[in-house]
Amino acid sequence: MPTAEEQSPMNKPSARYTPFRLLTLTLSFLLILVTPYLNSHYHLNFVQGWFQSLSIGHLWFVSPLEGIESILTSRSVYAPLMVGMFIPVLLALLFGRVFCSWVCPISFFSETLDRIIFLFTRKKFRPFGIRLPKRSIWFALIGEIILAMTIGAPIFVFLSPPGLVGREIMMMTLFKTLAMEGLIVAVVLLMHLVSKRMFCRYLCPLGGLLGLLGIKRRLVVVPDTDACLNCGLCQKSCPLGLDPEAGQSLSAYCWNCGSCIEICKASALKFQWKDI
Amino acid sequence: MAFEKTLKSPVTTNVLRPPGAVNELLFPSKCIRCGRCVEVCPYGSIRPLDIHAGIFTGTPLIHVTDIPCYLCMKCVEVCPTGTLRPITQQETKMGLAVINKHACITWNGELALCRTCYNICPFKETAIKLDELRPVVIDKYCTGCGLCVHGCQVTQENGKKAINVEPIYAYRRRAIANE
Repeated sequence: MPTAEEQSPMNKPSARYTPFRLLTLTLSFLLILVTPYLNSHYHLNFVQGWFQSLSIGHLWFVSPLEGIESILTSRSVYAPLMVGMFIPVLLALLFGRVFCSWVCPISFFSETLDRIIFLFTRKKFRPFGIRLPKRSIWFALIGEIILAMTIGAPIFVFLSPPGLVGREIMMMTLFKTLAMEGLIVAVVLLMHLVSKRMFCRYLCPLGGLLGLLGIKRRLVVVPDTDACLNCGLCQKSCPLGLDPEAGQSLSAYCWNCGSCIEICKASALKFQWKDI
Repeated sequence: MAFEKTLKSPVTTNVLRPPGAVNELLFPSKCIRCGRCVEVCPYGSIRPLDIHAGIFTGTPLIHVTDIPCYLCMKCVEVCPTGTLRPITQQETKMGLAVINKHACITWNGELALCRTCYNICPFKETAIKLDELRPVVIDKYCTGCGLCVHGCQVTQENGKKAINVEPIYAYRRRAIANE
């Protein structure tokens, strides 16, 4: 049995990742917030686009799901598209779904909402609400790709919540209007209020693809079963409803946000770089 | 019908795709709606469509009667998917300007000396010439940028101008002509 001293958080301070993650989320949101303004008002085209396709100078990024859908529905391959997808795919192969937890604007909004809710309720953990089978995210991905190939147009590219945030910001900056499909972002955030990160957990095809790419990822959260106190805090803090102490952080679903590592009083969870 | 509109291309007279666009049948499947062409356009010519356009939602479109294309060719440089191919000004074939000789005040003899379209054309004397002081479009060199449409003083009852850009190349296998 661990003593009370060992259980106290002062004993072994866990690594802090949330401040860095929130900083990254905020910076990436600020990036897509100011880019349309710099482009339209000052004609500074150095940074361009948002998370469907982003260019920083001559470094181009293309979201893997959008790129794959474009290739599948148009049945043609365009070399710059492949090059643009290279870095995001490599990132997903090495780190898993880190885009979702560290960059995605939906994550930024959800985290902000969580903090606003915390101000009112003063409860550290919100109950989970609706739980679906975890594997629904694969069905979302497969269904989305099949639907896109059937109607011959990539569906997710114009209905993807992270992309829509960028598009709406651009519409607001350039044309002083909002497009109606932006309501999807509101629906996703409402789902987050009902049940924590419900869209991200079960329905986001992009998250599904990044998770699929990250099945054999190198960066994983590894539980130390000897040090674990079975307190269940990590499970409560996990935004995806995983159970890290049971080793679910090693599965494809984990997005390496590090919140379980931070909450763990026994420092039983750690980021680990897997060697080959 | 609402459903018909979801699959019907929005490209019509004076409503065109940006330069270098691929075949309109391929356009909605190839374009990832990243909006970079919209963002880079210094004139605000390119606008993305909204959800009313069905599967064409988010694709870029130029309404030349509002703001024509000034052929700065920035959009074709930034497209990451090759939906807008990197072509030059001269290769651009967004459509073909067609003069309505019944509506044009120079052609129909009401007021003989308007030649705004001729003056405003970026390829004056190449893409548009004067035939006895009346404008004539040379189809081989017209890029369909719509500057002439924007400048035209005559607006017909149906909202069209006396010179209109018809997207006759939208469904061709190759958008680049003159090869």
